[in-house]
Amino acid sequence: MGKKSTNTLVLRIIPYVSILSCLIIWQLIVVLNIVPNTLLASPLQVIKLFIYKLNHTQPDGGLILVHAFVSLKEALIGYVLALLIGIPLGLAMGWFKPIDGLIRPLFEILRPIPPVAWIPLTIFWFGIGLSGKVFIIFLAGLVPVVINSYTGVRMTNPVYIRMARTYGATKWRIFIDVCVPSALPMVFGGLQVALSVSWMTLVAAELIAADSGLGFFITMGQRLLMPDMIILGILMIGLTGVVIGIIVDKVEKRLVAGMWR
Amino acid sequence: MAISKIENKTAVKIALLEFLRSKYILYAISLILFIIFWDISAKMNGRFLPRPWAVLMELINGINEPIAGKILIVHLWYSLKRVFIAYAIAIAIGIPIGLLMGYSKLINAWIKPIFDLFKPMPPIAWISLAILWFGIGETSKVFIIVLGAIVPVILNSMNGIRLIDPSLYHAIRMLGGNSRQEILEVTLPASLPAIFAGLQISLSMAWTTVVAAELMGAREGMGFIIIRGMSVSNPAMIVGGMLVIAVTAWLLSVLMTLLERRICPWKTELEH
Amino acid sequence: MENRTRALKNFKVQCVGISKSFGEGNEKKLILDDINFGVGDEFVVVLGPGQSGKTTLLNLIAGLERPSTGQVFVDGEEVTGPGPDRGLVFQKYTLFPWKTVMGNVEMGLKLSGMSKKERREMASYYIDLVGLKGFENSYPHELSGGMKQRVSIARAYVNKPKVMLLDEPFGQLDAQTRYLMENEIIRIWQAEKRTIIFVTNNIEEAIFLGDRILSLDGKFPGRLKTIYDVDLDRPRDRADTSFLKIRQRITEETMLIL
Ligand SMILES: Nc1ncnc2c1ncn2[C@@H]1O[C@H](COP(=O)(O)OP(=O)(O)OP(=O)(O)O)[C@@H](O)[C@H]1O
Ligand SMILES: [Mg+2]
Repeated sequence: MGKKSTNTLVLRIIPYVSILSCLIIWQLIVVLNIVPNTLLASPLQVIKLFIYKLNHTQPDGGLILVHAFVSLKEALIGYVLALLIGIPLGLAMGWFKPIDGLIRPLFEILRPIPPVAWIPLTIFWFGIGLSGKVFIIFLAGLVPVVINSYTGVRMTNPVYIRMARTYGATKWRIFIDVCVPSALPMVFGGLQVALSVSWMTLVAAELIAADSGLGFFITMGQRLLMPDMIILGILMIGLTGVVIGIIVDKVEKRLVAGMWR
Repeated sequence: MAISKIENKTAVKIALLEFLRSKYILYAISLILFIIFWDISAKMNGRFLPRPWAVLMELINGINEPIAGKILIVHLWYSLKRVFIAYAIAIAIGIPIGLLMGYSKLINAWIKPIFDLFKPMPPIAWISLAILWFGIGETSKVFIIVLGAIVPVILNSMNGIRLIDPSLYHAIRMLGGNSRQEILEVTLPASLPAIFAGLQISLSMAWTTVVAAELMGAREGMGFIIIRGMSVSNPAMIVGGMLVIAVTAWLLSVLMTLLERRICPWKTELEH
Repeated sequence: MENRTRALKNFKVQCVGISKSFGEGNEKKLILDDINFGVGDEFVVVLGPGQSGKTTLLNLIAGLERPSTGQVFVDGEEVTGPGPDRGLVFQKYTLFPWKTVMGNVEMGLKLSGMSKKERREMASYYIDLVGLKGFENSYPHELSGGMKQRVSIARAYVNKPKVMLLDEPFGQLDAQTRYLMENEIIRIWQAEKRTIIFVTNNIEEAIFLGDRILSLDGKFPGRLKTIYDVDLDRPRDRADTSFLKIRQRITEETMLIL
């Protein structure tokens, strides 16, 4: 679709131009008062607020990085719990028929419930503190983790299983030595999905009821009618989400590298 | 004699194992255990957990007893209406954008970076800004549902075009197709299954987002029901609402699967 | 060059001084070099081992690739791009998965703007000719490999191309189906004669099908090595002594280059 040599250079520059022009348009919209400042803050205002919030607790009672850290902590604890329970559960369901038969119905009930729908019940049970948040993230992460681990085992090449059987391997050994290793790529494939679902659910939970965290920061911005606060909160959520994603990716690569050595 | 006894014993054991292995029996056992366990925990802890029976009663009451002025079905209808409006908007905007991004590298270079910037921000995070802009009414809800639903639509339409087997283009060219016919006869139908997969994800995303939006400020809808159950300390109402939400989510996904079979009857090949 | 063009003048398909290379600079790889031949109203088989550039050669004639040097002519006109005057059957199955057998076969007619009734009629005839009557409404994923290639052949045939290009059409089939399809392609061809260029890596298939066999050299770059005339009556018998003799000869000579 077009001449190659000229295009590749242009195609490489356009993304930067695109982002830059968006920022400029955004800035102009606010500066020229096309949208009033009470509804939208300019990029420069957001940056200013960010710098201010680095060492000021006003007006919401916490430093911005502390809020980010609170959210990060809640997310990671819940997520790790989901992995610790979900992966073994999913793997076992994939291989051991009785476990599958007993757990599957419960799982099928759990599955269609959108994780955010757990928020009221969770608040009702645990209040607005850490444990409730962890519980909800755990639930949100559990479903994709279990599904992927389960599918991973199910997709094990039957030839390998049959071969292991002819060598007289026990069911348990086949599970550990054949199914689990071959399921790993699929398991890891589910990690990022689980993470983004967890993160989204956490944000919702914090928006509804919290006394710290990035979601809370946004809610405060809404109460105080400060669009710069809201936008900073949204950006920080995006940024923190990306950071966790990178951490998970790094850990995952480490684990995979360690395993295949 | 002794041998036959052992044989008998193993036979019984095998029969028992067979019985336990049959998955439907296991499913039944599992569900019964679950309900018993639920009921016992609820009996011990009635203030926090409703008994299964109470949830059922709550749902039956909801048929004709209004909650906040509306019966349950009407609340469900409000949520569905928001989803369908937002979903229609997301499709109408998302598919053309995604197709254009997949079709033209130039357009992709303009849009993709902005799209990538927005993607990691969960749509729900936008609710406060949406409320600030549009007030607490329908518009702000529809707005964030569109934000949530549009991402998979765009991504899948884009990839749907990108991943088309180039030899199909060769085939249509060899049969005499011009570039307009190429788009009509290959690009669009070949990307349809991927687009449809995006629509499926998108619908469940829309359903999640509507619940979240209603949790954060609404006078009707399923999200409102469960948050209301929380504020009036009625766990049966919360769990009942969650059940309705789950069943609806499930029905929506079944509906999409049926629709897919009608629209893309050849798709079985792609799934093997 | 002049001489060659004149020598090839009376042929339907002419390949004149063709070479083709892929890649740039250090990565540059010469795939085909100095290819010259002409094909008349006949069944010509291009025989060559794997990776000898057979598909590349057909793509050049089809117009899906442009030669690095040289020209391809069909009926005296230079090939500059793909077009319906050449019917291509691809090496791997490339039916439109969202179209039924009928939809696939009538596609070329539809593209040319023929009315629905007319093209249905014509497509039905060719579906019948390739032996797929009753499968008009099946989707490709419901068909076996042999049936898929029958559809591909009908899809190309229906356009009444000046030349049919078949790229190892039976390469993915099991041996029995392959024999059957070899008989079938001869039957179809005899029912409606077309110029055919048929690519294969199978010597026996080449002798069974071809009026002439163009043998490609297997080493980079591929060159046209020998042209064999196969003067056997059809239907040919794969166990016949004259058949085996030609087979012996081609086998020996192609072994030299491998
Ligand atoms: N578009 C391309 N770009 C780079 N290299 C190519 C391209 N097309 C073909 N080649 C190279 O040309 C060589 C010959 O390929 P070609 O497919 O024509 O051989 P073939 O005889 O058809 O092989 P086969 O029997 O496997 O079908 C291969 O080494 C291939 O890698
Ligand atoms: Mg080939």
